[in-house]
Order: sequence, then structure tokens, then C-alpha cells
Amino acid sequence: MRTLDWLVLGGSLVFIVLYGLYKGRGSGTISSYLLANKSMPWWAMGLSIMATQASAITFIGTTGQSYVDGMRFVQFYFGLPLALIVVAAIAAPAFHRSGVYTAYEYLEKRFDAKTRTAASLVFLVQRGLGVGLALYAPAVVLSVILGWGERWTVVIMGALVILYTVAGGIQAVTWTDVQQMAIMFAGIAAALAGAVWMLPRDISFLDGLYLAGASGKLNAVDLSFDWKNRYNLWSGLIGGLFLQLSYFGCDQSQVQRYLTAKSIAHSRISLMFNAVLKVPMQFAILLTGAMVFVFFLFERPPLLFNRAEAAPAAATADYREADARFSQAFEERRAAAAALARSRGPAALDTYRAAQKRLEAERTAAVELARRASGRDYNDTNYIFLTFVTRYLPAGVVGLILAAIFAAAMSTISAELNSLATSTVIDLYRRLLRRDAQDRHYVFVSRLATAFWGVYAMSFAFFGHRLGSLIEAVNMVGSLFYGSMLGVFVLAFGFPRADGNGACLGLVAGLAAVWWTSRNTGISFLWYNVIGCLVVVAVGALLGGRRAATSR
Amino acid sequence: MNRPPATDDEPPPLFRSWPRLYAAVAAWLFLLILLFHLFTVTFRA
Repeated sequence: MRTLDWLVLGGSLVFIVLYGLYKGRGSGTISSYLLANKSMPWWAMGLSIMATQASAITFIGTTGQSYVDGMRFVQFYFGLPLALIVVAAIAAPAFHRSGVYTAYEYLEKRFDAKTRTAASLVFLVQRGLGVGLALYAPAVVLSVILGWGERWTVVIMGALVILYTVAGGIQAVTWTDVQQMAIMFAGIAAALAGAVWMLPRDISFLDGLYLAGASGKLNAVDLSFDWKNRYNLWSGLIGGLFLQLSYFGCDQSQVQRYLTAKSIAHSRISLMFNAVLKVPMQFAILLTGAMVFVFFLFERPPLLFNRAEAAPAAATADYREADARFSQAFEERRAAAAALARSRGPAALDTYRAAQKRLEAERTAAVELARRASGRDYNDTNYIFLTFVTRYLPAGVVGLILAAIFAAAMSTISAELNSLATSTVIDLYRRLLRRDAQDRHYVFVSRLATAFWGVYAMSFAFFGHRLGSLIEAVNMVGSLFYGSMLGVFVLAFGFPRADGNGACLGLVAGLAAVWWTSRNTGISFLWYNVIGCLVVVAVGALLGGRRAATSR
Repeated sequence: MNRPPATDDEPPPLFRSWPRLYAAVAAWLFLLILLFHLFTVTFRA
């Protein structure tokens, strides 16, 4: 980190916090604090929705995942535009017309209070886990780059976000999201351009794509069907559709964004804005990871990217020998990659693949050494992109990309804190404990709840290092709950005979089915959303139909 | 505490109706999938 990087990063953070405080002035009523008095234009909401979904994990984990596993993760997002169409057509107008603050409030209007309470509790548990992970990701960044302790980073980041979210409510959150998304777009463009720019002079962008393709990193679409294959076209379109339906249709952190719209039309346009831009944006981020892989074909990467976790092993003689063998394997692969870029012939391809295999074998052996020395699992996927950024990119660009990572983290965390507080106050406190207090009392309690969830998130983030690849961890945690939650809303919107008892029993059955599936089968996590939803709908519809028949 | 429920439902910009906008967005998705598939096939060595 050079002075210019510090200026860019520090300037961005200060600007975001001050801007949030400025835009959040006058949030003195519960309607303005939680729904911005329904005054937001579509473009601000559209960027806010996008910023909320794009967490720091998106930058750190997705690029690393592309480096390790190729671009197939983009298929995870194929269901998103379809889900947004359904949400825009059905859920957004229904929520708007019913005049609710939370998605779960709608469930009481449709079913009963216990269904609303159950759904809001599921949301609070699930999103509480998510916000902790979202806070942990930038802590990983600074622990690698600056050597700060992860806990200090968590506390500083958490305090900044809590400051403007508590003070300004959803207006501060939405308007800072707009700024943060602009920084993120600039960061993505700078990272991709930087990765291509840093390739050797005799390696063009097309050569880079060819080498990435030869290494299996450009596998953006896989047409084969396999229940156990995590990312293919079908799991993305079907499983992803259910996951994204659940996220955008039932998760208060997203529903609250489009409930702030001036009108139903503004809500719908903001959702379509995301439907059009999200997949290409993810493609660009994954392509950056693939280009970083190509860069490290010609520049020796560290044997292991996570220096902290590798430290116990690095002191051993076995590791030093492995490092020497890795250097040799890297030189062979570099020569093979250069020859392949020149000739593109089958013999050069075979030589390159053999060299790549030897290099991977050396790395696998080193991972095993690290695992044995530390006594726990080793995963450095989240460290790859940052190693590239901080060691190789020029001054200013490093600061910009770090600012983008911070912006991504802060936008997600602030929206999640705001929605957690909203559900806590509207669905639990106001509904169950104190129904007729004055408006300013609810604003005060909402501020208190925001601060509480912020402190909770920081506490949870302290245990982040015990998880593996963060991006998958967040999505897997979500998938345990999401499908069942979606099932309850499908019952509400599509099954007039379904009632509260059926929905609640269905929710319990759905959660149990997903939990059993995750423990006893090898089915990939994206399908959990389909299973959870279908079980809830089947149980809820069956019980609702039987009651209707009995009452006749 | 109670807000008036939203009741308006304006047509979308650029398109005659919401279903047409949704159809265009779905078509955009399938175009992207096709392009990504061609990208995968082109660079699969």
C-alpha cells in the first residue's frame, strides 16, 4: 500500500460515511427511517439492489473461484433474470398494494400472526448468519495486506457501517449504495484491465483467453445434467431460479429496497435493471479471475496464497523442498505456456497440460503439508485475487480496488442491518410487545435494533476464519433456509385455499427435508431451494385443501 | 404509522406493456447463455 492507495481508500471511506450521514438527515418518522417515505427513483433502487447483492465476497471469492475452478460459477446467476421477472410481475405489486413494511407482514394479512412470526424468525436467523460473513470478508483483505488483526478490521468496518445506518436509516443506506456501486463498477473495470495489462508483452488478450481455455478456466456453460454437479446450466436455471426467487421475493434485505419506490412501476424497472446487468457483471468478475490465472502462468505465484495459514508448515524442511519443486514445475509450465501460445498445436497442448498437472500436484502436496502442520482445513481461494492486486497493480489502482471491496462490503452490511432491524421492530416488537407507541418511539427502537444487529454481526465475524470459501458458505447457509421460505410465499400468492396452519407445518417440513437432504445425500446445494419450496407447497396445499373440504 | 397503499400501475418505458418488457429481458438472458456457450466452445482447447 502506497500513499496514493491510502488516499484513494481513505478518501472513499470518509466520503461514503459523510455522504450517508448527510443523505440520512430528517429520517425522524418510521416511514422515512424504514421506507424513505416511498420516494426513491428506480435508478437509485436498482443500484441499491445490485450493491446489496454484490458483497465483498463477490470480489474476493468469485475471482479466486474462477482462478481455481474456472468460470462455471456464472451459471449460478442464470436463474436471476427469470426470478426478477416473476418478482416484478407478482410479488412487488402485491407488497406495494398491501402497504406493508416487511414481506412477513404480508403473510399475516394473507395467513395469520404465527406464520408471520415464524417467517420473520427464519429470516433473522439466516440473515444474521449472512451479515456476519459479509463483515468478515474485508477483514480477510486487511489481514493479508496490512497485517492488521482480523478482529480490529471487523470492529472498524462494523463501526463505520453502524454509524451511518443507525443515523440515517434506509435513505442513508440507499444513497450510499449508489455511490458504492459506482466505486464497484470502477473497481471491476480496473481489475480486469489490470489483469490484461499485466500480461507479458508477447501475450495478447486473445492469447490469454486461449491459454485460459486450454486450462479449463473458460467453462462458462456446461450443458450436462448431474444432480451432484454444483454448477451447470440446469442447476443454474432451475435451482438458481428458486434461490433468487427466494432472495428477491422473500428476503427483507431485498424486498425493503423495492418497497421504497415512488410507484409499482419504479419498483419493477429497478428489478429489470438488475435482470439485465447482473449476469454480464458476474461474467466480467469471473473473467478477471481467469485472467489472473493467465498472469500467474508467467509470474511465479506463491506456493500457497494464504501466508498466515501456511506459516506453521513453511518452517519445515518438507515445505522448503516442496517450494523448490514447485519453482521447477512453474518454470516448466511457463515455458510450456509460452510455447502453446505461439504454436497452439496439439503437441504443445499436451506438454502444457502435463506441466500444469505437475504444478497442481506440487501445490496439492503443499496444501496437505499446511493441513497437517496447522491441524485444520486449508483453503486459500479468497487470497488469490488480493495477492495479485497488492503485489502487482500500480499505485492508485490498488487503492481503488480495495475501495471497491470495502464499498461492496459496506453496502451489503448496511442493507442487511437495516432489514434485520426493520423485521425485528415491525414483525416482533411492534406486533408482539408494544402495538400503540408513538412514531418517534419506533424510530428510536429501530436505531437501537440496528446497533444491536451490528454488534451481533461483529461477534459472529470473529469466527469467520473457521469457514472455507466464503462465497459458497454464504450461499450454502442461504440455501438451507431459502427454499422453505419461498414455499410459504408461493402458498400465499398461488394457493387461495392454503391457510396459516398449513403454511407453518409446511415450513417446518420444508426445513426438515432440506436439512435431511444436506446430511444424507450428495445432492448439490442449489437443489435444496427446489426441494424446500416443493415440500412446503405440497404440505401447505394438502392441509389447506383438506381443511377446506372438511369445513364444507 | 399507516401509509396509503400504492395503487398506481404505469406502463413501462420503451415497451407497450409489462409482459413485453419481461419477454425482452428473458430473451436477453437466453442471448447471453448462447454467447457464453459459444465463448466456452470457442476457447475449449
